Amino acid sequence: MFPLATPSIPDVVQSIPLQNYVLLATTLFIIGIVGVLTRRNALIIFMSIELMLNAVNLLLIAFSTYKSDPVGQVFVFFIMAVAAAEVAVGLAIIVMIYRNTRTIDIGFLNKLKW
Amino acid sequence: MLPIVLLSILGLVVLFLGFQKSKNLLLPATLLVLAIVLVANFLHWNDMPSLYFKNMLFENKFTMAFSGIVIFSAFLIVALTRGFVDDESAQPAEYYTLMLFSLVGAVMMIGFENLIMLFVGIEILSVSMFILTGSDKKNLRSNEAALKYFLMGAFATGIMLFGMALLYGATGSFNLTAIKGYVMANNAPSAMLYVGLLMLLIGMLFKVSAAPFHFWTPDVYDGAPTIFTTYMSTIVKTAGFAAIYRLLSGSFSGIYSFWWMTLAVITVLTLLAGNITAVYQTSFKRMMAYSSISHAGYLLLSLTALTNQSQSAIVFYSLAYSIATISAFGVLMLVAKETGVHSYENAERFEAFNGLGKKNPLLAFVLTVSMLSLAGIPLTAGFWGKFFVFSSAADRGLTWMLVIAILMSTVGIYYYFKAIIAAYMREGELSAIKVSPFYRLILIATTIITLVFGLMPDFLKGLV
Amino acid sequence: MNYLPSDYLPILIQLGLALAFIVGTMLVTHSIGPKRNSKLKDEAFECGIESQGDARTPISIKYFLVAILFVLFDVEVIFMYPWAVNFIKLGSDGFIEMILFMGLLLAGFYYIIRKGVLEWEK
Repeated sequence: MFPLATPSIPDVVQSIPLQNYVLLATTLFIIGIVGVLTRRNALIIFMSIELMLNAVNLLLIAFSTYKSDPVGQVFVFFIMAVAAAEVAVGLAIIVMIYRNTRTIDIGFLNKLKW
Repeated sequence: MLPIVLLSILGLVVLFLGFQKSKNLLLPATLLVLAIVLVANFLHWNDMPSLYFKNMLFENKFTMAFSGIVIFSAFLIVALTRGFVDDESAQPAEYYTLMLFSLVGAVMMIGFENLIMLFVGIEILSVSMFILTGSDKKNLRSNEAALKYFLMGAFATGIMLFGMALLYGATGSFNLTAIKGYVMANNAPSAMLYVGLLMLLIGMLFKVSAAPFHFWTPDVYDGAPTIFTTYMSTIVKTAGFAAIYRLLSGSFSGIYSFWWMTLAVITVLTLLAGNITAVYQTSFKRMMAYSSISHAGYLLLSLTALTNQSQSAIVFYSLAYSIATISAFGVLMLVAKETGVHSYENAERFEAFNGLGKKNPLLAFVLTVSMLSLAGIPLTAGFWGKFFVFSSAADRGLTWMLVIAILMSTVGIYYYFKAIIAAYMREGELSAIKVSPFYRLILIATTIITLVFGLMPDFLKGLV
Repeated sequence: MNYLPSDYLPILIQLGLALAFIVGTMLVTHSIGPKRNSKLKDEAFECGIESQGDARTPISIKYFLVAILFVLFDVEVIFMYPWAVNFIKLGSDGFIEMILFMGLLLAGFYYIIRKGVLEWEK
């Protein structure tokens, strides 16, 4: 019932049809978008954005495995590295705002009217 | 290619210069770096178009011209910073370094041949701008602008990346030429390609603040320190449009019939939203933010047309727009500093210019020329910019868009003239403003460039 | 290698057992355990020492800075894995490029040290 020899990772990934990966990634992405649009807390908006990025990573890896082309995975590395830099700057901005206002609810963002 | 290497290394040098006790060296050092990079950028002007870094970056006259515009704009803006000497909490070394590093991103965006480079370039540029927007740490308006810019920017990046992933899934490559090959070979590309292209475009239009993705722009431009607003409205925009042009002309000219309608609708929305909202603004800085949206609309018009002329039209328009914006903000910074250091709201209103013409004829003249250029009045560079953009649209036969664009540019004349009227017709208690010789030199230079290109537009247009 | 849906049956059984155990123990402890509340018993237990103040006190910004810097430098290491795997194939060019990359990272590290971010007591 259980395979004794470990199958190679691309084989395992390809045992699920590509459409399922696309569906999962799209679902995650939409959850992220809805989170960004509906939440009021800057940190949670931020987490939703990270969810969007991870949906993209998943999609890229699925495509890359199905096409046997490593470039997609290299792109994932770049996304991860850049996302880390973005996290650093974003958290610094949130901390700066917290120090000035003692809140991170975006409701206070009303000095500049839309 | 050379500008990227030089900017990265010399940027680090400027950063470490900041450990010196004396901060006086930073401004000349940064200007020197930018001058060197500007020269290095045009070293290969006469060479054949070529690829660098294992087919990651592309270089031809178009990309060099665009890199030249952003580096030159950065030179002018850095010159207007006056070394941040009058601000005690400022960190000049870091600001200058971030400006230099963000230029690396801008040059990458202009010359990308691979979508990975586009992404990395956009992020280098955006992340630097997030920091610079929030650089006025104690000012809540600046904080708020930084957070809004950051959240919107990261959101747009997410959408753009999803588009890139779908494009990769459809075409199997991130390379522009390979994608073009796929698009050419397949007469009926998959839905995945269409959705991917659309999301990629939406992400990039977010960055250049085209309607309906423009809502963050006025707030961010208004809240950021004026010097960095100038930086955002010139360099980020120029690089963004160069990137969109390279993407559309480099890969997707084969499926023009698919995307032109989408882009046309966005163009019209941008023109309407930018110009009509600008009319109702009482703050000059906010008006400039909406004006930058409307100029994005004109540039998009040329992109929608995508004829042989579009390339030189975009180059010329970006240059004219950048120069005029820099001199307008240069005057605003002087006036705002004079009228009220503490009350931002009043210092940046149109009324701040009241009586400028009487005591400060030079500043009023500089402001007038830049406003005329932005409005597109003949004898200024802005007129020819609009002329080239409109003629490229006429070539494509986009008559209805042309009518809207011309109508909107007449609306533009109204709000640009509000500043000129305030400067010359209204009485005000503005005294003579002391302008340092160097600052004066930069303002005169931008004005002369605007007028020279207004009189001899072929000078630049023949080059590209 | 294809997995049939029936191959996932053991996982489902495991999941069901785990859930049943948790729900079961919670129900049983609630129903048969004695309930005696007092002020002392409801207090948070901190090694027998009386707890003081609120847990959400502001902490030094240094923790935040170090954490952020850790994330930054930590993630940059992912570029070394593909490089290490292809070390021989990439040859000396790859080696020089990686040295450049590390050099830029170290320049950032030097900047952090000179800025005094890592000086804990100041």
